[in-house]
Amino acid sequence: MDNSGKEKEAIQLMADADKKVKSSGSFLGGMFGGGHHKVEEACEMYCRAANMFKMAKNWSAAGGAFCKAARLHMQLQNKHDCATSFIDAGNAYKKSDPNEAIKCLNAAIDIYTDMGRFTIAAKHHISIAEIYESELVDIEKAIAHYEQAADYYKGEESNSSANKCLLKVGAYCAQLEQYQKAIEIYEQVGANTMDNPLLKYSAKEYFFKASLCHFIVDELNAKASFYILMAYSVPVFCSLTYIFLLKQKLLEAHEEQNSEAFTEAVKEFDSISRLDQWHTTLLLRIKKTIQGDEGDLK
Amino acid sequence: MSSDFEAYEQDFGTITAEITNKVGRIPKLSGEEKTQLVLNVDKQLEEVRELLEQMDLEVREIPVQSRAMYNSRLKSYKQEMEKLEKDFKRSRIAYSDEVRNELLGDDAGSSENQLIKLREERAHLLDNTEKLERSSRRLEAGYQIAVETEQVGQEILANLHSDREKIQRARERLRETDANLGKSSRILTGMLRRIIQNRILVFVLGAIIVLTIILAIYFNLRGH
Repeated sequence: MDNSGKEKEAIQLMADADKKVKSSGSFLGGMFGGGHHKVEEACEMYCRAANMFKMAKNWSAAGGAFCKAARLHMQLQNKHDCATSFIDAGNAYKKSDPNEAIKCLNAAIDIYTDMGRFTIAAKHHISIAEIYESELVDIEKAIAHYEQAADYYKGEESNSSANKCLLKVGAYCAQLEQYQKAIEIYEQVGANTMDNPLLKYSAKEYFFKASLCHFIVDELNAKASFYILMAYSVPVFCSLTYIFLLKQKLLEAHEEQNSEAFTEAVKEFDSISRLDQWHTTLLLRIKKTIQGDEGDLK
Repeated sequence: MSSDFEAYEQDFGTITAEITNKVGRIPKLSGEEKTQLVLNVDKQLEEVRELLEQMDLEVREIPVQSRAMYNSRLKSYKQEMEKLEKDFKRSRIAYSDEVRNELLGDDAGSSENQLIKLREERAHLLDNTEKLERSSRRLEAGYQIAVETEQVGQEILANLHSDREKIQRARERLRETDANLGKSSRILTGMLRRIIQNRILVFVLGAIIVLTIILAIYFNLRGH
């Protein structure tokens, strides 16, 4: 319908813009101020063409157009506009070609860090990490980007965003069995949030996660972490008693190497509040270690 | 005198027999007949009391020697009357044959009652257990909802915190921008001033040059 017409228009515009760029490259064009004018016009045309491609849902073409516009902006030394165009290109590519998107976003991040605007750079690190999470499923790189984002956020004193990123890092680390790192992260975040009156009610959750990780690593650690959990949570509004009960039962079950009691305790916990993916994975691992030990003993 | 006494004794005997008979019948009856009998027995007891009083008077008139025998008889009659009164009272408040049978251990009737009672008790207990189960289920549901609410609350608080930081940062940037705008406007006014100065200078210089040219031409012409 309308969109295909737009697409043709867009292609036409792109061709025009290309011609303009070429013509401005000639000697005369560069002499006068008119050269810049032409390049700016070409930039604008590229942007319009890209928007039309978006309307026609031709994401790769839109991304390409935005990239060209961004390069022209670079020539004109318009850093802000350049970075914005790269971001637009990245967003367009997200829907069709993740790798290209990541390239564009990385370029944009470089420009932003050059300018010193770390907050936005961090935000785009998070976008890249999300792409790695969902489309390319490369968790290591995702972790790296999340960490980078968290560092930038810390640098800009936006602790809550930093905590958000750190939490994700922790979750993925635990999934990848880098328990020590996950434990450090969770305990750090927990200690930070304890002070904040708004966030202290979530601190319990973090300590619980940390203690689960401890559990997998080592039983003694688990006991120690359990006591830390209690100590930290007592001053806070203590409604989650079932977490304590669960921990106690888990510890007992672990001591006695009794996987049935363990399963029962987990079922009880589940009946009160659904266990999410992460928790289930970790608890399953703990259960396997118990069963493994049982096998060894036998 | 003693013949009076004996006459009284005979009357006493008949009336007491009648009373015992009626008292025996009272528990078995109910309603109208019962009240009638009760009234009858009451009247007869009154008569018996009057008889006893008269016997008492008679005994007092008798010479002292034979009084002892009559006294003892009188006492026994009085005891009998009291016993009759007690029986009468008990019969009025006695329930019925059924209760007496139960008390005396009539087996067939009581076990039936026991079964009925047991069944009632069982139904009652089942009801109670059901109520307890229902209430405990509701409590658990309430607990679940409370836990969910807490989790939702945690999320909301975290969001609020991050929003707070964003707003703070935006405010800071706004202040910076404001300061920068102020600076730029000052620079622009400075530029404007300089432009005006330059133009004035240009005009002045132009005027001087024109003047010099005119003077030169004038002196040239004068020199000729």
